[in-house]
Amino acid sequence: MTQQMRPSLDDPRVAIPAESTWYEPAPIPQTERQAEFLTLREGEMFVNMGPQHPSTHGVLRVIIKVNGEKVVDLDPVLGYLHRGVEKLCENADYHQAICYTDPLEYVASLFCEAAPVAAFEKLMDVEVPLRAQYIRVLTMELNRIASHTLFQGWMALDLGGITPILWAFIERDEIVDMLAALTGQKLLYNYYRIGGVNGDLNHEFMSRLGTWMSRAAAQIDSNLALINENEIFVRRTRGLGVLDAKTALKMGVTGPNLRASGVPYDLRRDRPYLVYPELEFDVPTRDEGDSLARYLVRMDEIKQSIRIIDQVLHEMPDGPVMAKLPRLLRPRPGRAFGAVEGPRGVYGTYAISDGTDQPFRMRIHDPSFVHLQLVGPLTKGNLIADTMAVMASLDPVMGGVDK
Amino acid sequence: MDRRLAALLQEKFGERLLTPVRQRYDESEIRVALADATDTLRTLHDDPALRFEMLIDLCGVDTGEEMQVVYHLSSSTSGDWLRVIVPGLDRTSPRIASATFMWPGAEWMEREAYDMFGIIFEGNRDLRRIYMPDDYRSFPLRKDFYLADDASRSPAAGVRNMERAGTPADATAATTLRKSPGV
Amino acid sequence: MAWNRLTPAGRALAVLLPVLAIGGALTTVLLATFGGAIAATIGANLPIVRFLVAAVVTFLISVPVAFLLIYMEMKIIALMNLRIGPDRIGPAGAVMSVVHGLKVLMKEDYTPPSVDVPVFTLAPVVVYLASFMTLLVIPFAPELTSMGFELGLLYFFAIGGLSVVGLMMAGWSSFNKYSLLGGIRAAAQAISYEIPLTLSVVGIVILTGTLSLPKIVAAQDGSFLDWFIFRQPLAAIIFFIAITAEANRTPFDNAEADQEIVAGFATEYSGMRFGFFFFAEYVNVFIVSALFSAVFLGGSNPPIHIDVNPQILIDLSALGIGLPLIAGIAPVLGTLLFAAPIWFASSRVKGWQALVAGFLIFGGVSTAAVGIWAFVMLPPVASLIWFLIKTFALVFTFVWMRGTLPRARIDQLMGFAWKWLLPASLLNIFATAFAVLIAGR
Repeated sequence: MTQQMRPSLDDPRVAIPAESTWYEPAPIPQTERQAEFLTLREGEMFVNMGPQHPSTHGVLRVIIKVNGEKVVDLDPVLGYLHRGVEKLCENADYHQAICYTDPLEYVASLFCEAAPVAAFEKLMDVEVPLRAQYIRVLTMELNRIASHTLFQGWMALDLGGITPILWAFIERDEIVDMLAALTGQKLLYNYYRIGGVNGDLNHEFMSRLGTWMSRAAAQIDSNLALINENEIFVRRTRGLGVLDAKTALKMGVTGPNLRASGVPYDLRRDRPYLVYPELEFDVPTRDEGDSLARYLVRMDEIKQSIRIIDQVLHEMPDGPVMAKLPRLLRPRPGRAFGAVEGPRGVYGTYAISDGTDQPFRMRIHDPSFVHLQLVGPLTKGNLIADTMAVMASLDPVMGGVDK
Repeated sequence: MDRRLAALLQEKFGERLLTPVRQRYDESEIRVALADATDTLRTLHDDPALRFEMLIDLCGVDTGEEMQVVYHLSSSTSGDWLRVIVPGLDRTSPRIASATFMWPGAEWMEREAYDMFGIIFEGNRDLRRIYMPDDYRSFPLRKDFYLADDASRSPAAGVRNMERAGTPADATAATTLRKSPGV
Repeated sequence: MAWNRLTPAGRALAVLLPVLAIGGALTTVLLATFGGAIAATIGANLPIVRFLVAAVVTFLISVPVAFLLIYMEMKIIALMNLRIGPDRIGPAGAVMSVVHGLKVLMKEDYTPPSVDVPVFTLAPVVVYLASFMTLLVIPFAPELTSMGFELGLLYFFAIGGLSVVGLMMAGWSSFNKYSLLGGIRAAAQAISYEIPLTLSVVGIVILTGTLSLPKIVAAQDGSFLDWFIFRQPLAAIIFFIAITAEANRTPFDNAEADQEIVAGFATEYSGMRFGFFFFAEYVNVFIVSALFSAVFLGGSNPPIHIDVNPQILIDLSALGIGLPLIAGIAPVLGTLLFAAPIWFASSRVKGWQALVAGFLIFGGVSTAAVGIWAFVMLPPVASLIWFLIKTFALVFTFVWMRGTLPRARIDQLMGFAWKWLLPASLLNIFATAFAVLIAGR
């Protein structure tokens, strides 16, 4: 690793002459891998899909080295949405820390709350009432469906179809309005508390849920038909970005991406939390590992989620929704890792407590961060258009990637 | 409380563990010394009885006195989870061997640990900053990192560590490094 | 009349009325003195004058047509997306595209500093011209074709291919990798699909023996079973796919793939320069739909010939002085006639509102009546309307495809053209020639 770096533009002691160049000065490679990336061979050029781009799922900069239209190498540059959440959480107390974690995977923010809440509950030895657990499962599954529906729209949009995303938003709007009736928010719900949830289910939520459940499955099927049976869509995704099981395990892939490569690992099944041991559902798995498999696994998961919601509604007990806790929470010093199975993979929080009312360290593990490493290896040798297809099928959300 | 797993770990790594296997709820935790980290990880991955082939998370921790690297491993076949803490990294120049020999997916997680703490992972082919700009000079998640903050001028100024503007020379020793007892 | 106390409309009128008055007076004087000479010159060079008039009218009409197509696309895709689309500007948003056009005219004309200026400036012009010049051979009606010459079809393909040059110019001169990729994709796609495009109509040329578009339309006279879509179905399918690619429409719109290469070849263009590309694309859609309907759907021929009863012939000269009387009294009576039921039926409608509504209804009814008379009695009108119905049905299909289908990847698209469409069109040619041979024997 070399120490040679350009002077920082923020340093007032350094006067940098303003030169007008048409080309950005060539970056100085700092590592071997970067040096490898920056050497251009015959016929290769860099195409920069900058942070502002219609199709990167958030602010992500991808530098693609292409030979004509074929991708030779790919380097994602992150950090455009880095908000320093981990540092902020160290300076807030436990309840405030949960609020900071909402905007991480903003598309499925209840999962972003569920993981730290689980970790903190382990640290504080808090027993969550049964009704609150069922409500958590219900709302998480609803959020999973909303996230997967949005994924479906995104994926079609990245491939050029402009209709499915609008239909996906219609579906998602119904679920989001439901959750807004329950929590008061449409995107960053701020609903889970240490020891339970913030408020019981209300009539508005239940009536909307009932209306939605009565035709959810049929509606989703009819929306799917536009894409699944479309020859163009299938031809563009089949066999693209094949990820085999061994590579997936070595790259730390979890969630639907792993299940589409043949490994049936689902945290709800293998390391159950909340009331999942009592619920009956399948874990959809496919063997091909290509983009189409990743897409279809998520569509199957929507159906399983509807099944789970059905069971939860039937089995929900009465009772309190929040455990009795002191106002000032001081957990025992120790460490805990709370993980949930989010729509993108294992979403985990490693919390270290030192006995005070602020977490000492709150590490957030986001699955999209790990999955984004795959975009390069999976797209090598394909065309630029395939970069979009592969990235969309991996379903990253930049809020979580950049924390 | 997985007694089976605890017994297995004790048997495989007995002399290398710095403390006995700790278990709480559904988590198991072991600590190994810096020098044994690579071998331990390799054994955890390869041993047919253990088979922790998924690396769920890799992070750095700054305890105020030292730095640690924490690995979370999981087994896709048996559903076991394990936390491996490698303490004892020097706060001024932390170095540890990289885990990318076994899990290429650790590359970016190590980049993040480097970016946030300054921990150098030997063997990581791409150890550069991932979140902060390339010419950034500090390591943000270290306990001695301060942000000069506008909140220092607000009525709640100085209540929390981060709101106090200024360099470490301005703050007292008690507030500079937040240490955690025995963490 | 202080200038700054006038509203914008008042200012416009204050300028326009004197100009019109003076211009009208001058024109009258000029026509009076030189009218005879002008008429003689026109009479001597009738074909050229006819061509000039046709060309100018075609150019002028194509812009509103483009506006209409843009509005259609926005509205129809919105309805397919279960949204509403434009609905504020004008009734149901009908004026939206005109407003877009005006906005594009008023934007800053910015040329990025590092582009190749002559090529950058000319590229939209080339694309625009290539599209518009092909309008001249479209056989809107047997009497309404601007250039009905013997090589119409060949001229169409030749000039239409020039737009590729324009796209390449835009892509290359923009000093931008996205544009470069877009331009190259556009060129590769257009070249790949030109061959199946031209080969698929060879079957029709064999059947009719001519390249002239009015004659091809005339060959489909009779009932709708004579249309070439039934006699050459494979050619119709190939032609349809090829024109989708030539017009850069989804699923073949790689040149301007929004999601991958921002705006493709047009990334560095803004304002009216982009407007040129935009309009040229929509006029292109209209043109290729018109061509498809001319060549395969019978053009201006009605599906079934119905013999009209010519009793609707009205001899207006027999009315004498009654004509201006009727022309004056009919609108008043018509307005009152249509306003009365509205005013009586609802108590909330005020008198003047009923009169306005009545006037509009009278206007609509009388236009419809004149339209029907023209449709029945004047063959060009009927032909034109049939032609436009078929063309807009095709345009609707293109818009429909855009709303529904994702985009094909560039290599899949080109593979499809070279490996499937080209052999299919050759097969079509051989089959047609064989059939003609058998039938002739």
